[in-house]
Amino acid sequence: MRDHSISRRRALAALGAIGLGASGLTLSAPRPTHAQTVGQHETVDEALKRIFGARPMKDGSGVVKLDIPLIAENGAVVPVSVDVTSPMTPANYVKTIYVVADKNRIPIAFRTTLGPEAGQAAIGATIRLGETGDVRAIVEQSDGTLLAVKREVKVTVGGCGG
Amino acid sequence: MSDIGKVRVRLPSSIKPGDVVRVRSLVIHPMERIERDSKGKIIDKKYLYINRVVATYLGKTVAVFDTTQSVSENPTFVFSFRATDPGTLTITFHDTHGGKYEGTADVKFG
Repeated sequence: MRDHSISRRRALAALGAIGLGASGLTLSAPRPTHAQTVGQHETVDEALKRIFGARPMKDGSGVVKLDIPLIAENGAVVPVSVDVTSPMTPANYVKTIYVVADKNRIPIAFRTTLGPEAGQAAIGATIRLGETGDVRAIVEQSDGTLLAVKREVKVTVGGCGG
Repeated sequence: MSDIGKVRVRLPSSIKPGDVVRVRSLVIHPMERIERDSKGKIIDKKYLYINRVVATYLGKTVAVFDTTQSVSENPTFVFSFRATDPGTLTITFHDTHGGKYEGTADVKFG
């Protein structure tokens, strides 16, 4: 794996350049892709509207901790983790956590569904970032409250390619 | 690509009953990105990537990740669960081509 890292990075950079040039033409026409229930080609506003509708979203900065590097040198692998302060009891727990990358062509990176058995609402994953932009974590609690936090991440080399 | 589907699951070295345990898991998978032709049109095909990760412990689901192509190649997933009894933690990765990759870790107290 390691030996290929440089050539792979170069290839990604080239792909990114091609993809970005073309994105302006295609972004306006979202199209469904195969078997994607969570993520689709759409803008972040469309994605949030599709999933959450008009439900109010509160600022969750006191409760939700979104941990992601401020500068991502390689957009192909960006570690992100979300910690939510929650008792995680059957009466009050964190139900789902969405991680959304605003500038990606598939803005919803992933959705995590948790239960009270998790004991702690702390999750993480490695995502791709196509370009510099906001990354949001949207937390849905068991009572339906939505909490959102976002942070800007600067991306040196985009990792989303085409 | 013969390594595809290799799964590694890591638990902390010592776990006490009732502890909330943080699990790190890694799967070797290409997580294919969208490809475009020379005109910039998306090539319509069935892309190979993981779209669901399910973690179970003592027969109960503790965490489910629904993932898209915005997740990196060879992704890692971190989550926690409360270790109450000795048992097996199973993490199953499903990809869009029907592939199913499984990793397990034994929860032992000591």
